[in-house]
Amino acid sequence: MNTKRKNWWLSLGLFGSALLALGLPLIVTALWSLIDPKVGWFAPDVIPRSFSTHFWQDTLRDPGIFRSMILSLVIATIVTAFSGALALPTAYALARIPFRAKRAVEIFVLAPLIVPGIIVGVALGTIFFRLKLVFSIPGVVLVQSVGTLPFMIRILSAALEGIPEDILLAARTLGAGPLQVARHLVVPLARPGFFAGGLLTFILSFEEFDKTFIVGAPLVQTLPIRLWKFLGGQLIIFPNAAVVTFLLIVPMLLIFFLAERILKEDVLAAGMGKL
Amino acid sequence: MRRKRLVLPLLLFPGGGYLLVFFGVPLFLAVMGGFGLYNIAGDNSFTLEHYRKLLVVREFRDGLILTLYLAFTSTGLGLVVSVPLAAMLQLNFVGKKAFNAIYKVPLVVPSVVAAFLVLTFIDRGGMTSRALALVNIDMPKMVRDRWAIGVLIAMTWKSIPFMTLIIGGSMAGISKDVLHAARTLGARPLTVFLRMQIPLALPGITAATLLTFIGAMGAFVVPNLLGPVYPLPLSVHMYDNAFEFNEWGLVSAMGTIITLVSTAVLLTYYRLTRGAQRAFQAGH
Repeated sequence: MNTKRKNWWLSLGLFGSALLALGLPLIVTALWSLIDPKVGWFAPDVIPRSFSTHFWQDTLRDPGIFRSMILSLVIATIVTAFSGALALPTAYALARIPFRAKRAVEIFVLAPLIVPGIIVGVALGTIFFRLKLVFSIPGVVLVQSVGTLPFMIRILSAALEGIPEDILLAARTLGAGPLQVARHLVVPLARPGFFAGGLLTFILSFEEFDKTFIVGAPLVQTLPIRLWKFLGGQLIIFPNAAVVTFLLIVPMLLIFFLAERILKEDVLAAGMGKL
Repeated sequence: MRRKRLVLPLLLFPGGGYLLVFFGVPLFLAVMGGFGLYNIAGDNSFTLEHYRKLLVVREFRDGLILTLYLAFTSTGLGLVVSVPLAAMLQLNFVGKKAFNAIYKVPLVVPSVVAAFLVLTFIDRGGMTSRALALVNIDMPKMVRDRWAIGVLIAMTWKSIPFMTLIIGGSMAGISKDVLHAARTLGARPLTVFLRMQIPLALPGITAATLLTFIGAMGAFVVPNLLGPVYPLPLSVHMYDNAFEFNEWGLVSAMGTIITLVSTAVLLTYYRLTRGAQRAFQAGH
């Protein structure tokens, strides 16, 4: 009885803080996106005097925004698939094959997380400039993958460590070739790892700013870069920025809440829980 | 046997090779560029001029201090929230499943958006100051202010779910029996939290701390939008020098310094955990 009552308080406290820290900012942003351009929203008004869908229509009518949305989703998808494909063999070697320089390789794989994105972006940008990869989608995919690959390798290798050796040996004894084992056993059994790593990669790519900005802008305009233009310019256009904010968050939340049901959190935590 | 020897490099090649080319080469160029070598555009001779500038020019020195201040403070604030939150998530409470999904929202919110939320919410003329004005309280300046409070709020807000996720994962791995045994033997919940959950989850806590700290060292968007006018953090100096003044050598030197600080923190961590592990085993 006693513990039950205490836990109600815990729920109340947690959900209360979540409302304050997460709900309120989003509500304020929603209000900003719905203000009436003729009336505006000035201090001391806590709530706008009149509402309109003007800025939503205005923003959604801009074909550039729609193109940015598609572009962000396409780039995130390609980066996820690319990182997954590159990471699998390396993760397998790190998880299951003992070799001498393993610790060194592990640290090297983590190293991109230690070096600021700007330095990788600027250095790769100048190289890509010569290779004519700068301001292009392939260039952006390549530079983003530097940041996502370490996470993918770590998480996949944590998932692969959990596969019992016996199963793989049994399959080999029964005549399966290495590629068959990889296709029919390793990949399906590593699915929770692919899922957790893929979700994280997708999110990281969708919200990536520094490297994308340096290598891709102004020609490759993902959604975060478009939002930046509303915020970083001479005058801040709050209502437009508020609409773009929702365009950025809503697809992420949808994907996230759908994925949350099948996401095995322990895989994610196991991959990053030790350095 | 010979085939076996080939398997390992073949497996390591895709991921490792990719990082070697697209991360190793730029890193090499950056470190060399800091000394005026392998300059992509311009002259090419060894110099310590860029590092001298970083140490002597006040703007840069203050920038380095601000970078360190932001990284340490935002990571510390994140820890203060995440560790207790992770422990609470181990308990059973009403609506746990829903909360487990909700608290991760900032994880998927881009930093640009986090900065924007802070602008609408706590900037002067923002929501909080308007609400406080109703009861005649004047909000202190929290955006573009001296102590970079807006930056700290945005960065901490963004890092809490990631830290909580990793720390919670570590805490979930602690055997429930051990915690129950401690409770049965008379330990209070707070004692269990401080003397069992935190030490046993230490690998997760340190990993989360390190990753957040390192990310904060290189943070660019949030300090640029919300940070003080002076000093600017090194990341913003790097951007300006790269694109407005074309000072590749200076940019490289700054990047190298940030990387060195992060590496030093990481090495200290390895040292400390090795010591802690030994102490832990000795205590058995």
